[in-house]
Order: sequence, then structure tokens, then C-alpha cells
Amino acid sequence: MDKLRAKVRSLLTEGKVAGYLGYLIKDGHPLPHFFTKENLAEVDQAMVAPDSARYPLDKLLIALAGRYPEAIFAIQVRGCDERGLNELYKWGQLDPEKVVPVGVACTQNQADYCECPGPWASVVDYGEKCLPVAKSRRVERIDTLAEQDAFQEWLAAFKRCIKCYGCRDVCPMCFCKECSLEHEDLMSTGQLPPDTIFQLVRAIHMAGRCIDCGLCEETCPADIPLRVLYKKANALVKDLFDYDVGSPGAGPSPWKVLGEDATLEAKPM
Amino acid sequence: MSDSTFEPKIIGFFCNWCTYAGADLAGVSRLQYPSNIRVIRVMCSGTVSPHHVLRAFQKGADGVLIGGCHIGDCHYLRGNYMTVKRMRFLQDLLKFTGFEPGRLHLEWISAAEGPKFAQTVRDFTEKIKKIGPSRLIAAVKAA
Amino acid sequence: MKSQQQGTNPVGAVMVVGAGIAGVQAALDLADAGFYVYVVEAKPAIGGVMAQLDKTFPTNDCSMCILSPKLVECGRHLNIEILAPARVQGIIGEPGNFTVTVNQAARYIDMAKCIACGLCAEKCPKKVPDAFNQGLISRKAAYVLYPQAVPLKYAIDPVNCLYFKKGGKCKACEKFCPTGAVDFSQTDQPRDIQVGAVVLAPGFKPYDPTKYAAYHYASLPNVVTSMEFERILSASGPYQGHLVRPSDHKEPQKIAWLQCVGSRDLNHCDNSHCSAVCCMYAIKEAVIAKEHSKDGLEAAIFFMDMRTMGKDFEKYYWRARDEQGVRFIRTRIHSVDPVPGTDDLSIRYLDEDGTLRAETFDMLVLSVGLEVAPEVLETGRILGIDFNANKFAETSSFAPVAATRPGIFVCGAFQGPKDIPQSVMEASASASAAGDLLAAARFSLAKKKPEFAERDISQETPRIGVFVCHCGINIAGVIDVEAVRDYAGTLPFVEYVENNLFTCSQDTQEIIKERIKEHNLNRIVVASCTPKTHEPLFQETIKEAGLNKYLFELVNIRDQGSWVHMHEPERATRRAKDQVRMGVAKVGLQQPLREFTLPITKAGLVIGGGAAGMEAALGLADQGFKVHLVEKKDFLGGHALKLNHTWRGEQVKPYVDGLVQRVTKHPQIEVHLNSEVTDVQGFVGNFHSTLSTRGREVEVEHGAAIIATGAHSYKPNEYLYKENPRVLLALEMDQAIREKNPLVTTAKCAAFIQCVGSREPERPYCSRVCCTHSVESAIRLKELNPDMDVYVLYRDLRTYGPRENLYKEAREKGVIFIRFHADDRPQVAQTADGGLQVTVKDLILGLPITIRPDVLTLASAIIVKEQEKLAKMFKVPLNNEGFFLEAHMKLRPVDFATEGVFVAGLAHYPKPLDEAIAQAKAAAARAAVVLSQESIKAGGVVASIDPALCSGCQACVGVCPFGAIDYKETEKVCEVNQALCKGCGTCAANCPSECITLLGFSHKQIYTQIDQALAELKMAAEAAG
Repeated sequence: MDKLRAKVRSLLTEGKVAGYLGYLIKDGHPLPHFFTKENLAEVDQAMVAPDSARYPLDKLLIALAGRYPEAIFAIQVRGCDERGLNELYKWGQLDPEKVVPVGVACTQNQADYCECPGPWASVVDYGEKCLPVAKSRRVERIDTLAEQDAFQEWLAAFKRCIKCYGCRDVCPMCFCKECSLEHEDLMSTGQLPPDTIFQLVRAIHMAGRCIDCGLCEETCPADIPLRVLYKKANALVKDLFDYDVGSPGAGPSPWKVLGEDATLEAKPM
Repeated sequence: MSDSTFEPKIIGFFCNWCTYAGADLAGVSRLQYPSNIRVIRVMCSGTVSPHHVLRAFQKGADGVLIGGCHIGDCHYLRGNYMTVKRMRFLQDLLKFTGFEPGRLHLEWISAAEGPKFAQTVRDFTEKIKKIGPSRLIAAVKAA
Repeated sequence: MKSQQQGTNPVGAVMVVGAGIAGVQAALDLADAGFYVYVVEAKPAIGGVMAQLDKTFPTNDCSMCILSPKLVECGRHLNIEILAPARVQGIIGEPGNFTVTVNQAARYIDMAKCIACGLCAEKCPKKVPDAFNQGLISRKAAYVLYPQAVPLKYAIDPVNCLYFKKGGKCKACEKFCPTGAVDFSQTDQPRDIQVGAVVLAPGFKPYDPTKYAAYHYASLPNVVTSMEFERILSASGPYQGHLVRPSDHKEPQKIAWLQCVGSRDLNHCDNSHCSAVCCMYAIKEAVIAKEHSKDGLEAAIFFMDMRTMGKDFEKYYWRARDEQGVRFIRTRIHSVDPVPGTDDLSIRYLDEDGTLRAETFDMLVLSVGLEVAPEVLETGRILGIDFNANKFAETSSFAPVAATRPGIFVCGAFQGPKDIPQSVMEASASASAAGDLLAAARFSLAKKKPEFAERDISQETPRIGVFVCHCGINIAGVIDVEAVRDYAGTLPFVEYVENNLFTCSQDTQEIIKERIKEHNLNRIVVASCTPKTHEPLFQETIKEAGLNKYLFELVNIRDQGSWVHMHEPERATRRAKDQVRMGVAKVGLQQPLREFTLPITKAGLVIGGGAAGMEAALGLADQGFKVHLVEKKDFLGGHALKLNHTWRGEQVKPYVDGLVQRVTKHPQIEVHLNSEVTDVQGFVGNFHSTLSTRGREVEVEHGAAIIATGAHSYKPNEYLYKENPRVLLALEMDQAIREKNPLVTTAKCAAFIQCVGSREPERPYCSRVCCTHSVESAIRLKELNPDMDVYVLYRDLRTYGPRENLYKEAREKGVIFIRFHADDRPQVAQTADGGLQVTVKDLILGLPITIRPDVLTLASAIIVKEQEKLAKMFKVPLNNEGFFLEAHMKLRPVDFATEGVFVAGLAHYPKPLDEAIAQAKAAAARAAVVLSQESIKAGGVVASIDPALCSGCQACVGVCPFGAIDYKETEKVCEVNQALCKGCGTCAANCPSECITLLGFSHKQIYTQIDQALAELKMAAEAAG
């Protein structure tokens, strides 16, 4: 932790960043906190949140950056958070020139729980790199189900939805001012469960954009295995377009360019 | 699932320049095809969003047929590049969730391909008849 | 056609005589380019022969359906005045200033009062054979030419009217006319009209086959002409489109077409020419007849040479033969015999094996040729123009639309037998030629289009009017249009419903306008045919009624309704109702769309410095527009430099030299040699192109572009080409003749092989020029040495039109023509002494013949290469064979779907010099329509981003194919440049927030259509279950 605190302190004192977005224990709870030069002493309490207490810091950063467009901020990032930064740069929501990441490596427990293929940031200021999890067993299990069974399983999950929009609200990648999930032409209103396609529409938006932080699933009061859906959506994007979400070298998002050639063909009937 | 009296509901999204014109040509040539289809004319197949397709399924479509210009023939040059990307992805996502991806079909049909248009509608209607009524609709009705 | 030196300014008006498709096109092009046009038509309505046709080849488009919008446009054009029925009586003056005397015949109906209700015809007691329906049924002496006639006004035919015949009795029409429109006091009115030029497009008359006594046309009712058959097939014809034969109204099981009746024939008539269109129309009639028939009609075509030399014609022929089962028998029928006791007909013929056969048919169709009517010849004489030996208007190959009297131009079948696209091209070319002459007077007499005040509907709830079209029986024959209409009346916001026999007719346009006013409608739905052809017409109509033209929706219940569910009337009706409901819901959400104007760069870019390119460049430059002419090579002239003579025998070189001179000296033309177009940006009126001249790049600004990049000859791998020096290609033969090559001058025997590389599976088209070219070269060889043995080995001899005279001349001069079969080609071998030996099976004798030619000419195909780059840059399509594909094969032969870009010459399809010149002039005319405008309109169906909802993710920016969307850094939102936006909507579908709207196709409108499409079906299913 000392290494991390030292880095933050020097960033703040040298004026390289206007603030640092990290975690601090408050009333016994680890909570997101904005550290500044003015309250430098707080840096001594700066910490890495335990696995069970993660927050969408990227999302807070978007809000901060929106208010102070000229300022540079440091932010604590796990592997997923950093993928988020990279995507948010591409989607025009953050400026890479204005962000200094403070990197964290996740524990093996966390990585296993998340089935995370990239459980560390590109620069590790805290923690040791653990083994990544290349394949998701949760996705594989659904993949092996008969179509009819997969349908029943998903249907049962989707029916539990109480349309709290928690998944969206917590998602660091949901930056739209206007959410199409709330468009009444697309989605029926005033009914529970929502339209069966509710989760699919969100999955479409997540495909090639989801950083697999898992906050949606943790937030969901109905225990819908959203992460499985989005993991698959990303895997499809990888299969179809060879695009690695959040990788700085992945090139433009396939959803943002027409492409010079159409490499895909329509499926035969 | 198959039911001989089942009359599927099919929505066709056809681009103005190729497939819609191909459909007109099928008409001019008096090529007959089943009347289950309801056509929504769009300027380019690239204007069909996955949202539109999902809404159609939600509202009771048993099949959605999207028709665009052949790759390279798009009146807007490359609008249809996006169509194939979106629809291929959507088909695969539907498959994962057990939503019967075969109910969504994309076909390139040019303004000159009246016979292909008629045949595609015939084949697709027949296919949907074989698959039977949409699972999703059954689920919606049960809810 | 250089502008003449005039003492005074020319008159900015043109008279077009004849209002078939050619006349109508010429009138529209002239009027759109700023001239006032008088259209003089002998019949009481415009439309000509095309209005009588059922379908058109090779697309099988419904003839009336594609023609009707043009007729309506002509009828409603501010700068076109239709005089019908009327005839030209005299002319004085000179080019630029003629006074034409026109006799406007009395109609005996006051056009201003006639509402076309038809009561006069209903009450008229006098029946007359209906000439429009080829006399197959009768009309009355008070009549309208045809249901969609423009102008849609009745007329009284004084020759048959009882009032005139019986000295003042009858007057039933006058008694019953509700508006008092009948006026027997009318007299013919001579009028002197001042015009700067005259365009003659009086068309042709079908040959009257009565003289073929052995065919018994006059006495056997089931022997009909092809024009009669068109009417029989037509839904608006005598039998409402039911294919029945005249004698007993029985559905025929077996029909034969007999070709070359009144064509290629000096025995029964003086028509030595080929009529050029009959092979194709016969195939078309056979194919359509088979489609009409429920139980497998047998169709057979008896022909001499199958002349399918136009674009996509060969494929059409193959499809008819190989897929649709039309039989083709190569023979000329000598006589027709009635089968006693029946109405059937028997013919005897020698088949290809020489066996005498007899066959019985239910009906025979005589494919009658084209000739100019005697009264039209008389008009020509009055106007002082010359006719050729076949009695078509005389023109030169180099000025194919200029009559022999300066200031008078000709187009269409009056100039020579030809099909519709060629007529349309010549019509536009005549407009260009007249435009050259009168450029100084452009807009001097033309009236400016009035701006229609647009009603502000922003505070109004939708008030929708729905018009359901019967389209004769095209729709009403299957769909219960009354039920659709009544159903539409139950839909939300629908205030008014109506059905019409033809919603597209001119009178219905007036009705729609009235209804909009009467019922204060603010949105209109028409349920009829396809928006692809008819949307502009109806949009124009509602605009005139004060509505924004986008407050309109066309619901397609014909092309995608009655025509494709012909045997399911109930389901077709249900679908029609659903589609109407979807259309009504969509239009209810439609808001007025704005258009704005952009200036036009008054310059043209012509790509290709061959004859077509140079003619196109001069066509524009002579009309006063700046032209950039781009040529890849370091000289101008292209293919024409290699030709000796045209088929008429004119020397090509002096013409090309003169053309190069005029182009290089023209102050308005900048020639870019050694240059290529490397980039094209912008859009109609505002193109910015990059030209690369030996690596040096220049930018040029232009408002329109004409592609005339030409073609190449196919270099064969077959027949020892390049292996034996005695084997030449057609153009090399020209060179050898020109240079008096001993190979030719000392030859004792010469042979030509046709269709080398053409009409093959890999090149399924006819190269159009080769037969004439070989025949012409064969004649030259015979002239060089009358003792030379000259052989032409061919598959079908395609000396179409007046070129047939050359074929006759060649035979008379002793050229020997030997036909071979595609499966049994001539064999060419090299003899030990380096000579040639050609073996071919004579199909008449059935024996192989060996020829030892000293020189062998291969008529190799005309092919195009590497047109893709240009096609991509200009966003225009190519067909399968690589030729540029025009916007519409019939009626837009030089336009592309992309506005402001046009095509001419071989890059479009193989064609002889005279046709390439005509097409180049046509392209110039069409480009001049763009360039002569003050500004162009943009906007309408374009994308729009709501900045309040945009999160600046730029997903739209990268998916716009036209680079029309920019991200604005300061506002952090994206914005569409509506002048660049082409309205595809790819961005709208890409926006995760759906905050991009493709105006006219909004998300809300699409969702509404989805919901509506599924709503009723669900209800129906529930009701049933």
C-alpha cells in the first residue's frame, strides 16, 4: 500500500493531477473518495478496496471530468477499470491526456470469482499479478445447453427483473444521456416483468463495450446472471470482429466504423 | 411444434434501392409468394437497428426478414456493411439465449432479382411454418 | 450544330411535333432546361404507342405504369403547352426564328368545363371501332382516348358523330353533360406560333398486314397483329387482360408469332428495312402470354434471324428459350390456313432440317413492322425535310437528330425503327441540339415555377386522407379495394377515404387537391403501386395543394400486393389493409421536412475523349457551360480513329478530325490529356474532383459529370488470332483496307467469323455493331475485287433497322452468308504453307464446307475493363458484364440513380457511332437540365441529431459512408452536414440513444409500423381462434 500512497502523494504534491479518485475507510466502510493536495494527510488512509467493496470509479471520473474538463485526475484502476478507461477514451467520454491510472492487481480469489481474463492493470502499484482465467465456465455451461433449455433458463431469469435499472445505473460503460431502455416505443412501460427483450437490448449495448467488472450482477436484486450474458456478447464480438474490449491496441470498435471490406457474410437460411 | 394451420407473422425490412425494388420486380413478373409478410420500407438495410428487430419479436413476429443490396451494390456504398455486422451478432446472441436465431434472416437481393425475392419469401415463410410459433410469444402470453 | 449567327436573338420556345414517349421526353428536357415548349399531337391525348403497350422489354415493366408519371409531368408542366388534336400546316422562317402554322382541330368539348365524368360517351348512341384498342372493341363518337389520357378530357369525333352526319340531330351528349362542356359551335383554329426550333417525334405506324393475302389477316379473326396482341394482354384492353382469342373468347392453348411481317420484305411491301424491335417484342409477348395462362400455354416464334442486340436482350432471349419454354423455329411462314370446323389455324413450314411440317395454333400473332404513316410523311414534306429510301427522316450518322432542314430535329421511330430507350436518348439529344441553337434565349419565354405557399400544420392534429387505387383491374381484380377503403376510414386520424380507377391519372390529382382543401386534410396516403415510380407524382400534387410534400405515404398494394397474391384475394386484401394501417400510422407521425437550396457550379466534367466524350463536351460547351474533358491517352479521338466508314458509308476520319478541332479550339472546353480522375467528392451541382495528369494533381469543380470512357475489343484466344498473320480483328481489317495492305488487296478469298466472344456464357450479350461492320467490310472487299470470294459465317445476322439494306446489298454483290450453330463453330486450321483453312457445317446442306481464306476477320466482342474505380468514385453501379448501369433501362437511358452523373457511348453498352453520338448529346441535354438551374435543393430525407440527447460517443461519425457527420469538440456533440447526407440512416441505427432521426423514417415511425403490422394480425388470429 505504501507504494500506491507514495505515488498518489507525489502526483498530488507535484501538481501533476488535480485530484485522485480512490478509496478511504469511512465509518468502517471502504468508500470511494476524492483525494486532493489540500487534504494531503488523507492519502495516508488511501487504500485498495477489498474484493467485496468495489464501486464504478470510472463512472465517477466521467462526472468529474465533465465538470472540470481541463483538469487531470488520477484514478485507482483494477484490470477491468482500466479496460473501462480505454473504452471510454474510444467512445469520447474521457480524454487519455487527462487521466493518470494508479494500477491494482486483483487477488486470485477475485480473479477466479470474476472468471477474469485480465485481472491486473497495465502498471501495478499494488498487489501481485495472479493467474488469469481464460475461459468462463458459466458461459460454457449455457453454451452446452439445448436451445430450448437455454431459453427456459434465461426466461426464468429475465422474468425476475423488477426493472430497477440498477445494472445500468452502476455500469461504468453506460454513459448515454438518453437510455433507450426507457424509450416507450422500444420497451413497453408500466409492466413487470419488463419485455422479454429488455436484457437483450442491454446486452447489445454491452457487446464490445462491457469491461466485465461484474458490478451489474452484484447490484441486481433479482440475481439475473447478467455477467454471463455480457461475457458471451463480448466473446461473440471477439469471434466475429476479432476485437478485444478495453485493449489499447485493439483498434477502433467494430460498432464505430463501417470497415473497408465486408468480411462477414449473411448466414444461409 | 409444427402446425399445419399455423400462419406465421413475418416482418420484412427492405431497403429502398435493391430489395424493395426486387420485390416490385417480383410483382411486375407476377411471381407469387405467401402473403404472411408485412413490409416496412427503409432507405438502407443499414437503417435497421437490432432494437427494431427485437421489438418486432416482442410484439409477436414469428420471423423477421431483412433485405439489402448485395455487398458492393449498396446505394449508400457501405451502409449494408453495418447490417451484416449487426445481424450476424444478433443471430448469435439470440442463439445463446435460446431465442431461435433462425427467425431472423438477412438476404442480399438486388433490384434485378425478382425471382430470388419471391423464392426467399417462400422459403423463409416455409421455414418459419416448420419451426412453429415463436417461443417468445408463448412466453409473453404465459406471463 | 454550332449556334447560328443570328441577326436577332433566337426565340426561346420550341415546338415538339408528336407526343409519344420521344416527344414527351424531348418536351420535358427542353422545358426543364428553360425553354417554352409547344407540343403538337394529332390525337386528342398524348402518350403515343407506348401508352398502348402492355409490358416493355427487357424488364417487363408495365408500360403505362412507367409512362404515366412522365405524361402527367408533361401535362402539368408550367412550360409545356399541349395542342391536341392538332397538326402542322406550314412553316416559314429560319433556324432560331420560325413561324409554324398549326391547325388546332375542334374538340367540340370545352376543356375548361369537362370533368371527364364520361356521361357524354355513355349517352352517345354511335359506336365506332376503337383505334386505341386496335378496333378489337368499340368506343363511342364521344370518347376519351384511354383511361389515363393526358389531358384527361373527352372529345367528339366529327367523322362519326351523328350530329355532323345527320345534319344537326342527336346532341345526346350536349343534353346530358352536367357541366355544359359540349360545344358544337367550335371550329378548327389555325394558329401561328413563333418558335426557335422544331423537334419532330411523330413516331411510326404499325404495318397493315392485309397485303399478306396468304396470312388471311383480314378474314381470320384469330390472326392478330402484335399491336392487337398488346391490347389483348393489357389489363385496360378489350378483354381486361384475360388472354382470350377474338373469335370465340376462348383461352388459347397454343400461340405462334410470325416475324418480319412488313419488314425485310420487298414482295408484299416496300419495307426493305428491319424494324429492329419485333424480335424482342415477340419474345416479350410470348413470355407474358405464358404468364397470363393458367395451364401452360405453348408459345412458338417463327423467325429468320433472332435480333436481340440491345442491352440485356440476349439474356432475355436465352431465358425465354431455356427457362420459360418459348419455342424458337427458324423459318419464314409462307401461308396460313384455317382449320375447317374450328377457329384454329394451321401453318406449314420447312424446319431447320428441311422437313416440311404442319402445325395447328389457336392464335397467330403477326409481328408487324414499323413504318412512317402517310399523313406524317405529308407533315414532313410541309416542313421541307428529306426522307431516306425506307421513308424515315433522313439524317447523317454524325448529326443523328438533325433533319435535312436546319433548325429542325428528329427523334424516335420517325428517324428509323428503334426501341424505347433509343427513342428516349434521341429525344434528349434533340433537346440538346435545340438547346445549342437557342442557348442565348434560355429562360426568355419560360415561366418560373410558382412557389406554393405551404400551410402551417404545426398546430393541427393529423387529418389523413386515404386514396385507394383500382389500377384498372391490376389491383381491383384481386384486392377488394372498397373493403380496403372502408377499413381505412375506421383508422385513427383518417378524415377522408376514396377509391379511384386510376389514382395516378391527371384528373385524380385535381381531385386529391380538392379533397385536401374541402376536408382540411394535412396528410395523404395513397394505396396503389410502388413509391419507386409514383411517389414524386403524388408529392407534387399535395405540394400544389399547400402541403409539405413529405406529409405523404404511398402504400404498395399492387407490385407487392395484388400482383404477388393473385390467387389469394382474401389474404391479399387482408395484407393490403394491414399495410394501409401501417402507412396511416406512419404518416400520422410525419412532420413537414425542410429543403434548402445550394448553388450550382455551372461546369461539366466529361470523362473520356472519344467521339462520345467529345460530342458530350461540345453539347455542354455550345450551350454555354464550361467543360473539363479528361482523356487518359495523349490524344483525342478514341475508337472512332480506327473506323473507316459508318454503315451509311460516311467517312469517319474527317468527322473525328473536325470534332477534335472544335473541341481543342472551344473557349469553354479545357482538355486534360494524359489524365485520370482520381477522386470525386461532393454531390449534384457541387462536385469537387481531383484529376491526375502524369502525377500532377488538379482540383476541378463541376456541377455534373458525364462518363464516356468507351470500351475495348476482346482479344480472342481462339481462331489462331495472333498465331497466324492472316487472322485480323474487325478494326485491324479496317486498317488493312485503309492502308491497302497486300493481305487484302491481293486476297482471292476472305472470310468473317461473327460472335467471337459475344453471346457466350461468359459474355451473354450481343456486341451489336459486329454484324453491320462485317457486312460493310465484306462489301468493301467486293468493291475492291468483285471476283474475291467473301464469306460471312454468322449465328444470327443482326443488321438491324435500315442496316438491313447493307445486308441485302452484300448478298446482291455475291457475299456468301453461312450460318453456324453455337455448338458447332467453324474450325480454323493452319495449312502447311501457312495459309488458313476454315471448316464450317452448312446448316442448309447439312454438310461441312471448307473455305481457304487469304484473310480471316474475327468480329470480336466489345468489352469493358476496369470501370469499377470510376463507378465507386461516382457511386454508380455496373451490370454483370461490367457496363455502366443506367437508372432505368427504358426511360432513363443516360441517367444514373446518383443525381448529376450521366453515361454515354460504349461504356454503357456496345453501339455504333451514330447511336453513341445520340447518347452523348442526350447526356449533354440531361446534364444541361442540371446546369441550367439556379440552385439545387438539399435536405428532405436526411439524418438529424438531437444535440440535447447526444452524448458525443461518435458511434455515428465512423459509420457514415459519406463523411457527413462531424464531432463538435466544444459542444461535445455530433452534427450532420445535411448537404452531404444522403439519407441512408446507418447512423440512426447505430446511435445507442436513438437520438439520431432519419427524417421521414424515424425510429418512432418504424416502431409504429412494426406494432401496427403485428397488431391486426394478432386480432385476426384471436378472432379466428
